Amino acid sequence: MAKIERTQKLFLKSLKEKFQGQDVQSETTEFYKFNGYHQSPRKEEFVKASRAVEMDRGISMYDPVRCHLGGIPLGQRQLMTYEVSGTGVFVEGDDLHFVNNSAMQQMWDDIRRTVIVGMDLAHQTLQKRLGKEVTPETINEYLHVLNHAMPGAAVVQEHMVETHPGLVDDCYVKVFTGDQELADDLEPQFVLDVEKLFPAKQAQALSAAVGKSLWQAIHIPTTVSRTCDGGTTSRWSAMQIGMSFIAAYRMCAGEAAVADLSYAAKHAGVVQMASHLPARRARGPNEPGGIMFGVFSDIVQANRKYPNDPARASLEVVGAGTMLFDQIWLGSYMSGGVGFTQYATAAYTDNILDEYTYYGMDYIKDKYKVDWRNPSPSDKVKPTQEIVNDIATEVCLNGMEQYEQFPTLMEDHFGGSQRAGVLAAACGLSGSIATGNSNAGLNAWYLCMLLHKDGWSRLGFFGYDLQDQCGSANSLSIRGDEGAIGEVRGPNYPNYAMNVGHQGEYAAIVGGAHYGRGDAFCFDPRVKICFADPALKFDFAEPRREFAKGAIREFMPAGERSLIIPAR
Amino acid sequence: MKVKVNMAYKPQYGPGTSKVAENRRKQMNPNQKLEKMRDVTDEDIVLILGHRAPGAAYPTAHPPLAEQQEPDCPIRKIVTPTDGAKAGDRVRYIQFTDSMFFAPCHPYQRTYTECYRFRGIDPGTLSGRQIVECRERDLEKYSKELVNTEILDAARTGIRGATVHGHSLRLAENGMMFDMLQRSVLGEDGVVRYVKNQIGEPLDRAVAIGKPLDEKWLKAHTTIFHSLGDVAYRDDKEYIEYVQRIHSLRTKYGFLPKEA
Repeated sequence: MAKIERTQKLFLKSLKEKFQGQDVQSETTEFYKFNGYHQSPRKEEFVKASRAVEMDRGISMYDPVRCHLGGIPLGQRQLMTYEVSGTGVFVEGDDLHFVNNSAMQQMWDDIRRTVIVGMDLAHQTLQKRLGKEVTPETINEYLHVLNHAMPGAAVVQEHMVETHPGLVDDCYVKVFTGDQELADDLEPQFVLDVEKLFPAKQAQALSAAVGKSLWQAIHIPTTVSRTCDGGTTSRWSAMQIGMSFIAAYRMCAGEAAVADLSYAAKHAGVVQMASHLPARRARGPNEPGGIMFGVFSDIVQANRKYPNDPARASLEVVGAGTMLFDQIWLGSYMSGGVGFTQYATAAYTDNILDEYTYYGMDYIKDKYKVDWRNPSPSDKVKPTQEIVNDIATEVCLNGMEQYEQFPTLMEDHFGGSQRAGVLAAACGLSGSIATGNSNAGLNAWYLCMLLHKDGWSRLGFFGYDLQDQCGSANSLSIRGDEGAIGEVRGPNYPNYAMNVGHQGEYAAIVGGAHYGRGDAFCFDPRVKICFADPALKFDFAEPRREFAKGAIREFMPAGERSLIIPAR
Repeated sequence: MKVKVNMAYKPQYGPGTSKVAENRRKQMNPNQKLEKMRDVTDEDIVLILGHRAPGAAYPTAHPPLAEQQEPDCPIRKIVTPTDGAKAGDRVRYIQFTDSMFFAPCHPYQRTYTECYRFRGIDPGTLSGRQIVECRERDLEKYSKELVNTEILDAARTGIRGATVHGHSLRLAENGMMFDMLQRSVLGEDGVVRYVKNQIGEPLDRAVAIGKPLDEKWLKAHTTIFHSLGDVAYRDDKEYIEYVQRIHSLRTKYGFLPKEA
């Protein structure tokens, strides 16, 4: 390890905005004079809104003076705003809780309501068993029918109830293939055109991986997956697929061949976004705990938009991942409450993780000649223990020193878990981007944790005792239930299942290994193509920008019910 | 089974060539006497803890061991119970918050120190607080040592049962660590006094715990590596190499679980 010079501090602008008029390197400040929660416009709004609710329902609600510490409200220190990293947008911390942020809700909605279903099995059934002709024209007709049926409309039956298109406007189906000739013959409105959506090198790799197969990217209505659960997605979609085949190809509704189509749509040809979880988690498929990190890194599209900046691409995965896995999965599915948001946002606000990660990029370029701005497998460093230790140590020490030398930075990340996650993420990303090996990145993460703990004699909350102090031993293990390659680990991997501040970063470390190599996808080319769709409500190429839009109330989500409720 | 009395193992209390490493070893080593810095009385300790009124009898969780039927257990024959366990005291706690601005002790260091020096304890270690739980009369004895010796600074160490926020914040302009509940205040005479107990209930009378230690003393005695202090972490190469070695060995064994 050897410290390198880096004059640019990406977090400085944020600190100066957050702590206006103060020396951001001063070790002292003033407390107890900020008038409590009144310093926050958003909390003032909460009080006003609560008064209206109380008048309406006659039950008490938000009362931060009486109910917080017996009369001492929040805000004895300065309540900070936050810059969503990479966006220049400053927001209230409260607006980064997913309840207060429609973009965050929609990101998860868009994943949960998605399945990918192959068409090849169904076409074989139609052609070989039923003797039907399948041509681009019949496929176009089928897709017309399917886009009528998928939101909840009848195609075969008489006297059926149907859903209001204004309530399910986010539901549709497109197709993709690696066969450009076939893609060109299909109606453009239905096609995810790989050549147009991806940079040439990525498009070539994706098309080759998908081959001549034809796949449907299906997004059922947000309202449906919210009212039911992720397990509904494949069932809803399979029902509408079956009915649409019957209608488009003039099949008998009761003939046995329909069972083949159903089996293909429900099981044989389905790609779920997340696998079914064990009974003790009580969740079906397409719920957050079952998303493999490799799949999540394919869902996020930043490497498509920023192919020459693997650090940026990985940081977008961190933002999306901490929001989904910390705030929604661990924070609400598995726990409940508000505290997890404070952990998660540390990794995607104020450009702090960004600064530490780009320091790592400078370091791997300076010491190991990794031209990270031109991602390629050819200049990746061999992931030896010595090299991983070197990268992790330097990036960790640099980050710790930044916290020390900018006391407002330490105050920004006031919790040890926040600092631990951010420091280790920078080490993990630097390690994985340098080596192109996700497990090497995970290994760097764990060395950082040990160094951090010994340097400051503290780490994170109790959970860090388990996960991070024994993590070295499983980072290179690939035995069943004790380890795996990073791509197929996930939030329910045994040692990762309980601890906030980790899973989103792990996903990014996995992604970084591939973004650093210039790979078109991390684990599944079909998922990568599916989420490149510009018609999706949430832009997966810019998760952090979308969260910022949600925070300042400029994001338009789906699944709204204003059509069917009284006007306010 | 015979217990080997004369163990060959000699505790080293951690690696490192720096002053910080040396300070850590001194605090941990029970053969080293911790310097007494103040004289907070037994009664005052009880007030800060807030578990019972001074002079009140110790509430019990079970009858004294001598009065209850003990099972025939080989472990109970080996381990001598502490005074609190013998009497059947409740398990209670003291919790500290240590400022990262050069407080004398820090969470893991506290835990290690307590484990080497005290018996019958259950420490818990986080980033912003460190709790130790044990039988009540043992707790009061241990607390006295934790409060009166060099491992506490009146301004940068807080005794806080809840709402511990402050360890990583800038200091107040008078040098005190932030405490939302302002359990301790710095008087005009330069003495810090607890006006609330550790969970923030107002005390009937203030408890003085002395004057804050000066910056130079703190930097010389702290157990945190800090680039604005006397020792930056990266400057203690032995310490860094030790952590790297631990990590490497764990990694290799996890990959292929066999002895080298």
